[in-house]
Amino acid sequence: MKITRRFLGAAMAAAIGASASMPAFAQSATQGLSSESVIEAIKERGALKIGLSLFKPWSMRDLNGDLIGFELDVGRQLAEDMGVEVEFIPTSWDGIIPALVAGNFDVIISGMTVTPQRNLTVNFSMPYAYSGMTILANTAMTEGFALEDYNSEEITFAARRGATPATVIAEMFPKATLLLFDEDGAATQEVLNGNAHATMASEPGPSDDARDNPETLSVPFNQAYQAGGEGFAMRKGDPDALAFFNSWITWRTNTGWLKERHDYWFRGDEWKAEVAQ
Amino acid sequence: MLDKLKKLHWLDYLVLAVVVGFFGYIWWQIEGVLNYNWRWGQIPNYIVRYHTGREEWFANLLLQGLVATIRISIYASILAVILGTILGIARCSANLTIRMLARTYLEFLRNIPPVVVIFIFFFFLSQQLINALNIESWARTIARSDDKAVWEFFFGDMRRFPSLISGVIVLALFESAFVGEIVRAGIQSVDKGQREGARSIGMNRFQEMRYIVLPQAIKRVLPPLANQFITLIKDSAIISLISVQELTFKTVELVASTRLLFEAWITTAAFYFVLCFGLSMLFRRLENRGQRRR
Repeated sequence: MKITRRFLGAAMAAAIGASASMPAFAQSATQGLSSESVIEAIKERGALKIGLSLFKPWSMRDLNGDLIGFELDVGRQLAEDMGVEVEFIPTSWDGIIPALVAGNFDVIISGMTVTPQRNLTVNFSMPYAYSGMTILANTAMTEGFALEDYNSEEITFAARRGATPATVIAEMFPKATLLLFDEDGAATQEVLNGNAHATMASEPGPSDDARDNPETLSVPFNQAYQAGGEGFAMRKGDPDALAFFNSWITWRTNTGWLKERHDYWFRGDEWKAEVAQ
Repeated sequence: MLDKLKKLHWLDYLVLAVVVGFFGYIWWQIEGVLNYNWRWGQIPNYIVRYHTGREEWFANLLLQGLVATIRISIYASILAVILGTILGIARCSANLTIRMLARTYLEFLRNIPPVVVIFIFFFFLSQQLINALNIESWARTIARSDDKAVWEFFFGDMRRFPSLISGVIVLALFESAFVGEIVRAGIQSVDKGQREGARSIGMNRFQEMRYIVLPQAIKRVLPPLANQFITLIKDSAIISLISVQELTFKTVELVASTRLLFEAWITTAAFYFVLCFGLSMLFRRLENRGQRRR
């Protein structure tokens, strides 16, 4: 008796579950999508969580140890326009995409270049910045070099692991040796020491380094490579977030605000007094 | 001091001269190869600085990192000692299943590199725990409230509390395996006769552990535990990989912002050394005093 009653209960529950979910599925799918969007979560929480990794001048610590930079301006403005607080979560570059997927923050705004490989794991907004990369070379070691001369077994490049320059170097100069480091400073130091012929980074980094070390370093070519564009990265399967960020970028591009901020951090040097040089 | 100098043999001076010469040569080599513009003057600013806006002295990046490392180490060791004691007792259990489970956990941790363990624990364990307990929104509520001073004294910026807690959990889980082994060795070092004596006066297994075995075992495991605490401080540098804002992570940030590559890392190394060596000296003193009393 007991067994049959329990069985009956289970069967009924299954039947109710099936009948409730089947017809309502199509209708609730769109509602579900928008209510599960990260945009709703941000509004409910009252705070936008942004993941970033420090890259000068995208984001950096000033003399007081506070975060400043282009990304910080973008993030603060974005949060202000959404009417929520902003929380920046500095994360190491190696683990920034897994951390986004795991839900540690809502969006990555960290000068991340849009690439197909990354796009397989996360979604990208339209570009909010375009930065070109230039070659920073040890002047004495690369005297009289044309661009093709860098593609040789005798040439050593240094770059930051997992960052776009490393990929670009591997693509442009497949024959050269590539040394990988955890951050840009170490890569530049290898070029300064003469252990590597050159490195690559997004402007204005290389020009600044060449200005600081005029006897050793130079930017041999004026041309910037792979201006692919940087986008916000967010978790997949969230059309509302993608739409929202795209609209925000379009709006802030059209009003000229993004360009003005970009010029301030990438062309100007008013901010340089705030950071130890 | 002079007495000590007189005790030195001429050979000692020779050894000393060779060592100094060796390091001098290395330094000379480095200076020749290293094209580096030393800027030691910047470093004190990143330890303590006078805030021009707020008009007060404040702890800057490196000191903030050091304080965070100390906090994390203390909380993680407390948790590791609790978990490790349970694990150690389980390793000596009469029940085969419990013994095997504890052994599995231990072997798993001992035979996988710490970095891998930390990533696994972070994404599969501590992260889930924090989401399940809704720690994040609780911490944010405190961060927004006015009376957060006490919380901030113990845990730093409350908005970063989830990351601190996951760092503590990950580190404690990792170290608990080693603490467990120390505790097991302590328990097994207690003479069998002691246990039999406890049984013969009618104690049950719990009472035997609580009143006879553990008090003796704890006395014996204190020195190795103190050692393990120092190891834990050094191991805490690993959790910078999961972006916990401790000393190593702050140093990476400082280097990325200022290019003070060698100055920052040397300063950080000095911080770790002073902390660990100081503790090691302190523990040795306490140990000597304990022995004298006995």
